[in-house]
Amino acid sequence: MSRPIEELTGRIYTVTPLEEEYPTLLRQIKDPPEILYYIGDISLASRICVSAVGSRKATPYGKWAAFSIGEKLGQNGVVAVSGMAQGIDSFVHKGSLKVKGKTIAVLGNGPDICFPSGNMELMKRIADEGLILSEYAPGVRPTKFTFPLRNRIISGLSVATIVVEAGLHSGSLITAERASEQGREVYAIPGNINNIFAIGGNKLIKDGASPLIVLDDILDDIGLERKAGNQTNAVLGKDESAILEFIKTSGEVTCDEICRTLSRHPGEVSGIVTVLEMKGFVYTALGKIFVAK
Amino acid sequence: MISKINTATLTGLESDIVTVETCLTNQLPGISITGLASQTIQESRERVRVAIAASGFKFPNKKVTINLAPAWSRKEGSHFDLPMAIGILAASGEMKEQQYADYAFIGELSLDGSINPVAGALPLVIGLRDVGMKKIILPKGNAEEASIVRDVTLYAADSLKQSIGLLQGAESTPYKSCTEYRYGSPDGINGLYEDVVGQESAKRAITIGVAGGHGLFMMGFPGSGKTMLAQRIPSIMPELTYEEMLEATKVYSVAGELSNKRPMITQRPFRTPHHTISAAALLGGGGIPKPGEISLAHHGVLFLDEFPEFSRQVLEMLRQPLEERKINIARAAHKVTFPSNIMLVAASNPCKCGFYGDDRHQCTCTPAQLNHYRSKISGPILDRIDLQIEIPPVRYKELLEEDGIPGKSSASMREAVNKARKLQRERYINEGISLNSELNAAQLRKYCPLDTYCKALLREGIEKLGLSARAFSKVVKVARTIADIDEAASIRTQHIAEAMRYRSLDKYYRNF
Repeated sequence: MSRPIEELTGRIYTVTPLEEEYPTLLRQIKDPPEILYYIGDISLASRICVSAVGSRKATPYGKWAAFSIGEKLGQNGVVAVSGMAQGIDSFVHKGSLKVKGKTIAVLGNGPDICFPSGNMELMKRIADEGLILSEYAPGVRPTKFTFPLRNRIISGLSVATIVVEAGLHSGSLITAERASEQGREVYAIPGNINNIFAIGGNKLIKDGASPLIVLDDILDDIGLERKAGNQTNAVLGKDESAILEFIKTSGEVTCDEICRTLSRHPGEVSGIVTVLEMKGFVYTALGKIFVAK
Repeated sequence: MISKINTATLTGLESDIVTVETCLTNQLPGISITGLASQTIQESRERVRVAIAASGFKFPNKKVTINLAPAWSRKEGSHFDLPMAIGILAASGEMKEQQYADYAFIGELSLDGSINPVAGALPLVIGLRDVGMKKIILPKGNAEEASIVRDVTLYAADSLKQSIGLLQGAESTPYKSCTEYRYGSPDGINGLYEDVVGQESAKRAITIGVAGGHGLFMMGFPGSGKTMLAQRIPSIMPELTYEEMLEATKVYSVAGELSNKRPMITQRPFRTPHHTISAAALLGGGGIPKPGEISLAHHGVLFLDEFPEFSRQVLEMLRQPLEERKINIARAAHKVTFPSNIMLVAASNPCKCGFYGDDRHQCTCTPAQLNHYRSKISGPILDRIDLQIEIPPVRYKELLEEDGIPGKSSASMREAVNKARKLQRERYINEGISLNSELNAAQLRKYCPLDTYCKALLREGIEKLGLSARAFSKVVKVARTIADIDEAASIRTQHIAEAMRYRSLDKYYRNF
């Protein structure tokens, strides 16, 4: 596990607060790293950044939300910052990369070590198209203590931090705490009260974080004009609209529930859901159907 | 004097006639057996000697030489006891040649002279019939299973004494089957689909799978009803034909799995091996190869619950028999072929602990466990499975029961299956196949032409839904089956769209 990746070792540079390239917002926090190791384009860290974090184990909904936030930020020229952990973090990066947006991964280990190792491909893409950032020297292995420390950098780089899904003792809550100490905006995605992955986010909202109800809100709050984005005007047939309407009012349904409520045949519903998914209106995971827009 | 008695030997499911030649000579008394006889047959000299004495006959005070002809083939099984005993008694002048020459004998002797049932009686009887034997004496315990064979007269014998009596002209009636062919009778079927609350979409997918002979993979949280759904699959499969019943019963006969309670296989088999199963037990094997679970499920369902928990090596070995619908087992002494025309049904949790992605429970798996679990499922074996569905938990079961809308019944699902199968049989009458799942690439092009809309939809689906390129032909085959269920002549876009819904794992592993 976690052996340095040779092809990345040669591309590591450093930056200190004495240099101009040091991330602007990061200078303002009370304990900025004395040195940053990076791979990629360091100027990204001084652009407008928004971080999105969440638990490593996430629900399909959480992953979708993370992916969509990544996309939304990417489409609007905002740099998406996250920690490249499994689950929510990875999907934030993936969403941004998908729309050719810029993204920063802040690591809790040396910049040439891939952790978790399954993210190798993602890490290489971020190194090529975005920025890998760490306060740890090359070859330093991740430990229990490095991750909470790196969270201050994630929030420190960003004007706002979004907590997508977090359990009660999640590291994402530490990031949110650091963000509020640093005087940055904190958003949380509200969730069902019986969803154990939503407890952390809901608690943040109770404690004063802004609930993120529409993804565009965040762009308005940081004063960015919304880009037209991907407003596809796909034409829907009558049956498709009827089923989409039902999914929208229910939030989260199964094919069976659609069949029962609308008195339709399972085969027919399956086909229509596939088409809706292809057109990007819904997405499905583990037998459940969610609204995507 | 030399006597020649007819019996048979078994290699896999095939049987060949064997002549038991017995010669008595004036030497020191003893028995020697030649003709590549196995340990069991070598031991039978003791059983035969005692059983003859116990039945009230005199064991000849001479040197007994027994040869099992042809002498070059290996022979195995305890059913040589009876023919050997008859041979010794015939050679010692107890009977005349014309009394036993028309008969063939199968049976294991007890020391007290009674006859025990043997494994593999059915294929032995079939083999004897095929070489022209008309009358067969066999153990009473095997008579029922063998009575399925036509054009042969069976005599069920309790004891050596009784069978000698029969040959010497005592009154005897041929065995008559007491089993009606119980087509469609509910015994042996593990419940009906009426009992499954909700899960109509899954039932739809299962109907498609059975109609087109497609393999099925179900993923869902613990308790969502995967096992319940799988167990009921035989209840919607077409009834076994006579030929199929014969083939299935043969396998069970050789495996020694028939009993008085179940003398023949009249229902589609449903086998659920535990995930700790070894390769030999699943595929068949042993020094003298015996059929494994995959052959015991012939013409029925092989259900692999907790699919990723099976050893990878075992799963990989399923590939060839799934493709060829038979399995060749080669051992040092034997090379046999067992049939394995099965519907493969696999089920899995989303992860080891079962709650990955569930918003009501915390998943306790480590990332390494998650990866390990997935790598098992995403292996090449999945390529052999056309339908992959997700089973959502039924959250509001009580509500569903309350509103009283009945679910689809096994009978109506079976009707759809039968209709679709008939269409397929008629369409492929000249191709030597009978199901959509058996289409090869050339046949797929010939019988499943797609119009431009379907092609466009398929291309878009593969791109947008993240389906693998391999999914292409599977989606078309499944779409063909859906069209058959709808009784549509050609594949239309709604069939393609529905078929793509059944590739959920492709997406699961690519995106989430």
